[in-house]
Amino acid sequence: MGMLEQVRLGAVVSQEPSLSERALLQYEVEQFLYAEAALLDARKHREWLGLLADDIHYWMPIRRTTTLAEVDREFTKLGDMAYFDDDRALLEIRVRKLEAGSAWSEDPPSRSRHFVSNVRILDIAGDEITVEACFHLYRSRLERDVDSWIGRRVDVLRRTDGSFRLAKRHLFLDQTVILSTNMSTIF
Amino acid sequence: MADGTQVGHAWDRAEILSLFDPTTGVLDRRVLSDEALYQLELERIFARSWNFMCHDSQIPEPGDYFINYIGEDQVIVVRDEDGGVNVLLNTCRHRGNALCRAEQGHAKSFVCSYHGWNYGLDGRLIGVPGLKAYYRDEIDRSKLGLHKARAESYLGFWYATLAPDAPSLHDFLGDVGRTGLGMVCAHGEVECVDGIQKNVISCNWKIAVDNLFDWYHVAYSHASANTAGFMDISQILHPKNQMVMLGEYGHGIGGPGIPQEKQDQIDAMSDEERLAASRAAPPNSPRIRPSKAKKLMGPVGVRSEGHPNIFPNLWITMSGLQMCLRLPRGPSKTELWWFTFVPKDAPPALRRNMIWQANHVFGPAGILEQDDGENWSQSTSAARSLSSRALGQYIGMGLGKDQAVAGEQGEHYIESCVGEHGQRWLYRAWTEWMAARDWADLKANHTAPPTGVV
Repeated sequence: MGMLEQVRLGAVVSQEPSLSERALLQYEVEQFLYAEAALLDARKHREWLGLLADDIHYWMPIRRTTTLAEVDREFTKLGDMAYFDDDRALLEIRVRKLEAGSAWSEDPPSRSRHFVSNVRILDIAGDEITVEACFHLYRSRLERDVDSWIGRRVDVLRRTDGSFRLAKRHLFLDQTVILSTNMSTIF
Repeated sequence: MADGTQVGHAWDRAEILSLFDPTTGVLDRRVLSDEALYQLELERIFARSWNFMCHDSQIPEPGDYFINYIGEDQVIVVRDEDGGVNVLLNTCRHRGNALCRAEQGHAKSFVCSYHGWNYGLDGRLIGVPGLKAYYRDEIDRSKLGLHKARAESYLGFWYATLAPDAPSLHDFLGDVGRTGLGMVCAHGEVECVDGIQKNVISCNWKIAVDNLFDWYHVAYSHASANTAGFMDISQILHPKNQMVMLGEYGHGIGGPGIPQEKQDQIDAMSDEERLAASRAAPPNSPRIRPSKAKKLMGPVGVRSEGHPNIFPNLWITMSGLQMCLRLPRGPSKTELWWFTFVPKDAPPALRRNMIWQANHVFGPAGILEQDDGENWSQSTSAARSLSSRALGQYIGMGLGKDQAVAGEQGEHYIESCVGEHGQRWLYRAWTEWMAARDWADLKANHTAPPTGVV
């Protein structure tokens, strides 16, 4: 544990963690992400809230097509417009809304499948692990509505009381114009 | 045909005018589904109307551009070297390829990626590869510039039209359109916040537009926003204090109105007192407008906390914080584009608060907006299927029950409870735009905003 806490992968450090230590952490992180995805797909939104840190930032900036020369302007910045820019209170509102019995965009409920892949641990700092992953959120709805949202995300997992809490989720969607009626599903 | 079209049907004037009956409020559902009517809309509404393009602050420097649409025609809105704004059809005059493929950015000129034809910021064709060697110098570049729309602005909002015979933007907007844009600037000069939310809904564009006048759906469609503790719907609805303003050419404003007695109290306050009262108000309540707002919005308009629609498809909402364009993408598809405006001199905390509201109320993930799209797409579906579409839609609330009056500056407005006056005004105007052959015909044959029983 002591070693891992000091490690920044890719940097030259005096005590490189062993392959088995890295594999163990990778396994732990992946299992957490899969379990989290399973809760969302099982519509256990309230249990999902239990995985969030109190200071979570859940953010999806707006992406737009730019020329290569201006690709640094591809995403909106923090503080400007976004599709999601939520704190814990707002995520709790989203969950209460899903439970309300009058959130018509999710009642009848959608059928969602959260795929997480290409999981890479980018950084370990103290008790926080920064994880990059590709996501594919598939939503099937009513008779024949289908949505597919694919992108990259950066999560921060924080070790709390022997397990992880999600302290950050930044979602970088590949679509510019969102090809969906709404985004009423939690990513 | 799969989408409910009457193949090859040419709609004549009498038929078009019969599609909405303002005396009964019955709308023929084919208005929301017919392919031939949709094609006619592109010609008689979008290509004829003034269309919102962008705000000055989105393209401040020469070479800055923003891509938008007139109907389904993509246009480049670009600031030129002289500080003017040009609106150019984004299609090369050689083989039609798009010149500009980014949504926004900065360019010195627009070069076609197909054969390298090069156009200036004013649309002039300035470069043709092989001009001498292949074209033998026999090409008249002066006739092959990009097609230019007329562009005019009001309060920094740029508009464009493809109709040479259109009236000026000022006259097109009329008092109601100018009140709507004035609402955005009521607290001072604004800038557009970076980031336009865009999403596609499987609905006819008009059902998205008419919904903005609909303060009847809010309590039910958006009940979950209330239950979840996001917003106290009862605080924003004011169902018994509704004001509908009717403008020429289909412009309208509908929603809560500040009663005159309350406005008199506001008028008696200094700007400092208004600011203090505004900051003390609970979140999500409209800010109390400063005294200069009356000049921008007029003595009646300044009492509106409702939703202007600048015909055909520009919704102004959240008391001027946001605008939403409803872009047509076929009879059963609409693209929603959200623009957000904050006063240039807003203190950081106010700016943050305004952007927070804009990010969480509307847009595809907005706590309110999430629940609109499916209603609209299912109403659109039922405008296609054979027996359902024969039923018509009933938009009759408040019909014949209210009085329209004229204000001191000629504004026409109705004060009553929640009703469907705005929707009826929209569809009546739609039939008139669709029946008219050109602007002269529309000017001569459209319903002037009424007074008396409506």
